[in-house]
Amino acid sequence: MSSDLQGAVGQSVLRREDDYLLRGQGRFVDDLPTPLNTLHLAFVLSPYAHARIASIDASEALALDGVVDVFTGADLAAMVKPIAAQIELPGYSPNARDVLAIDEVRFAGEAVAVVVAESQYLAEDGLELVDVDYEPLPAVVDIHEATEPAAPQVNPTVPGNVYFEGRFATDGVAAAFDAAAHVISEDFHSNRVTAVPIEPRGCLAVPEQPANLVFYSSTQIHHLLRTALAEFLDVAESTLRVVVPDVGGGFGIKAALYPEEFVCAALALRLRRPTKWVQDRYGALLTDVHARDNHYRVEAAVDDDGIVSALRAEIRTNGGAYSAVPFGCTLETTGGARMIVGPYRITEYEYTATAVATHTAPVLAYRGVAQPVCFMAIEGMMDRIARRLELDPAEVRLRNMVPTAELPWNNVVGVRYDTGSFVESLELAMEMAGYDEFRARQANGRLVDGKYRGIGICSFTEVSGTGAPGWRARGLSRLPGFDSGTVKVEPTGKVTAFVSHAHSGQGHFTTFAQVVADKLGARLEDVTVVEGDTAAGPYGTNTFASRSAVTGGGALIRASEKARLKLARIAAYMLESTPEDIVVSDGQMHVAGVPSRALSFAEVAETAYAMNTTDLPEGESFGIEETDFYDPPLVTMANATHIAQVAVDAADGTVDIEGYVVVHDCGRVINPMIVDGQVMGGVAQGIGEALMEEFVYDSDGQVRTATLMDYLLPSSVDVPNFQIAHIESPSIDTVGGFKGVGEGGLIGAVPSIVNAVADALADLDVNVNTKPLRPALLSRLIRQAGG
Amino acid sequence: MTGEHEVTVTVNGRSRRSRVEPRRLLVDYLRHDLGLTGTHIGCEQGVCGACTVLLDGRTARSCLHFAVAVDGSDIRTVEDLADLDALHPIQEMFHQKHALQCGFCTPGFLLTTVELLESTPDPDEAAIREALMNNVCRCTGYANIVDAVAEAAVELRRGQQS
Repeated sequence: MSSDLQGAVGQSVLRREDDYLLRGQGRFVDDLPTPLNTLHLAFVLSPYAHARIASIDASEALALDGVVDVFTGADLAAMVKPIAAQIELPGYSPNARDVLAIDEVRFAGEAVAVVVAESQYLAEDGLELVDVDYEPLPAVVDIHEATEPAAPQVNPTVPGNVYFEGRFATDGVAAAFDAAAHVISEDFHSNRVTAVPIEPRGCLAVPEQPANLVFYSSTQIHHLLRTALAEFLDVAESTLRVVVPDVGGGFGIKAALYPEEFVCAALALRLRRPTKWVQDRYGALLTDVHARDNHYRVEAAVDDDGIVSALRAEIRTNGGAYSAVPFGCTLETTGGARMIVGPYRITEYEYTATAVATHTAPVLAYRGVAQPVCFMAIEGMMDRIARRLELDPAEVRLRNMVPTAELPWNNVVGVRYDTGSFVESLELAMEMAGYDEFRARQANGRLVDGKYRGIGICSFTEVSGTGAPGWRARGLSRLPGFDSGTVKVEPTGKVTAFVSHAHSGQGHFTTFAQVVADKLGARLEDVTVVEGDTAAGPYGTNTFASRSAVTGGGALIRASEKARLKLARIAAYMLESTPEDIVVSDGQMHVAGVPSRALSFAEVAETAYAMNTTDLPEGESFGIEETDFYDPPLVTMANATHIAQVAVDAADGTVDIEGYVVVHDCGRVINPMIVDGQVMGGVAQGIGEALMEEFVYDSDGQVRTATLMDYLLPSSVDVPNFQIAHIESPSIDTVGGFKGVGEGGLIGAVPSIVNAVADALADLDVNVNTKPLRPALLSRLIRQAGG
Repeated sequence: MTGEHEVTVTVNGRSRRSRVEPRRLLVDYLRHDLGLTGTHIGCEQGVCGACTVLLDGRTARSCLHFAVAVDGSDIRTVEDLADLDALHPIQEMFHQKHALQCGFCTPGFLLTTVELLESTPDPDEAAIREALMNNVCRCTGYANIVDAVAEAAVELRRGQQS
């Protein structure tokens, strides 16, 4: 009956999204036409990290012509319940957030009131006139200071500012350390960053019938948002429709549910008028979820050959002032603890993982989640082992890796690596980077022409496509894992595919069409993909954590298979054959061996829709519209190796990336061009994180980086050209063999660059165990070492 | 801040006369008064370049100009590049080279490229990267944009020779 994934899948099909976006016809949330009576919202943000709200006087704002109303936390509390992540982990202290602060603010930028006005300009005028009387209180921002006895308490339900502490140990850790020839330890510090999609967040709520509220939001999680709106606003979920327009980048930070969304929806319902809110960049930097304010203390038991017999990790992550919805403040904590062993055969492992509350912005998902940091730690350890034992860093990795022949492999925390190419990806990356030649040149001295040159490796596993069991293992029992697909052959024979995802630049309209065309046997140009609308297609978990190819692709494969079977049954009836003998391909059906008597999709669809004189076969239902769901296993594990070559200027500490190699294995590749794009974009963000970006609070919790002139993003002169290769080890655990790819670029870039800089400075005996590696830091290290 | 002023500008070849508040940003005027929503707002701090337009032939941040201050000017936005049947060669090369993902920053990159290739028809890679450095893209990692600009330069030169 044909229709394997061989045709469109695997081809660099150009994107069908491009034409309208290039013409300036994208419809991002701020581009949507708004009804003339739309009200505009602007939020009053706290200038203090920690303060009591003594009073709020909105009378001047209310007196301004065009300001319709001003609402405070107490007002909103009557409309929206406090929002909370639902984490079921032993040792977790739950915590809820009022959508506008009541009585107390807990981070700089927390909203205390909302101004509702007839235009955006008037709403912002109103902001200036809301008089909030704050009584400042002591704040704590540092993850170590936060748990000292005298530290200010961030949240009454989080005693000692510890949201969560998790422990794990295998039985033989202590014995392995006792027996170890070498014990090597290190502290790794990671900078707080945030994703900075170029489109800020926004939403537009339009009350209309028959759905009571149509809610447009720049979100990655429309179904989860709809359920949460229903739950926290206490309205019937069936009266809500959430639509995701074009989204200008998400990178995980739009996979959070934010107070502004609940406020916007609640006020549209309360005021019976459309409401619109689009944040500015200042608000985005302060209130989008942050990430990566982590500390890792790692200790490895190592034998004389560099083999790691046991690993200990003490992980501390900053969860910010509230446990963010929906994944909670433990996302980075449990993620790093569970992933740090990576591609290595580490069988004795112990961790303590702590999530800490501070007076800073809440922390949730940013591309890679914990992995850029946990791999900075473990890959940094591999380099330290190599330096201690005078081995090559690549050799140490190769000796510790799980070889392909031993896959499937269950790692020490119970995560299954079904297929992969740890050794092969490293070896290929070394060849592409000219690794051995680089080392040979380096043997003559690292400092040449005023620049220290180094090379850094990151070999890693990449969590993708997490199913319900994977979320449950991390305490997220209320987070589903499945996604859904519906494949509909229309009366004219054209195909509409609905999928429970929402794009923010990934090219879903193209890649999902490739999958459906192949599996259904349709022509690629006849398949149209619809997504990002809770009224179009069934429920799903949506688009984050490198899910869409695995979960959406899997669901569409299953739905396509059902639709293809129905086409075949009807065609068999029309051709007086049996369904098993019907070949479906290229938009046509024929009896095997008789291609001359072919039926088009349109001809079969006419029968299905009773638009001709042929009856349907006995027992067959009308239409051709099939739905299925797919929940992947625990997690779907991709892998990759990155190798960065850097030059550190001895005089000013600037870092040039002189070469960058990626060998990535995301299983079966749907569209190589799009996969490469994901990788390159991720690496660019990793370069930013490793060398430039840092969100800074001073010790009082005041924001030092509230503009893009202070929070530095990489530009075209900071990012090099790339060499990229793929190894395809199709997953044997997932439908379609796909693994995710969305985060790997960033995950691999941070450790490889940090390691390359450390390698460049290795002769100076300085310790590079922190990021970002800005010129000021590196020139200080070089000076201190007398370099 | 009160009262409105009359401005007359030529936008994408068409003369537009409007009354605007003196504080109205050019980008808001283009987007919300004229409906030209292809010009995007990424930061309103003059950093990201998503709001780039051509103002009398030179790139300008439309978030840093007031509409009243450009009275009498000639403005080109992304909507002016393609015709109904075909993309502009620069746009076509962005498509061919996968030089956009979410597409939000793209209009700014396109207009920056128009300016570059009008003044420098045969730029090398360093010149392209230099020209693009005032536009931020968070999706692509720039390499494909650089390729697209280089290929567009070839295409435009070929078009002028024929």
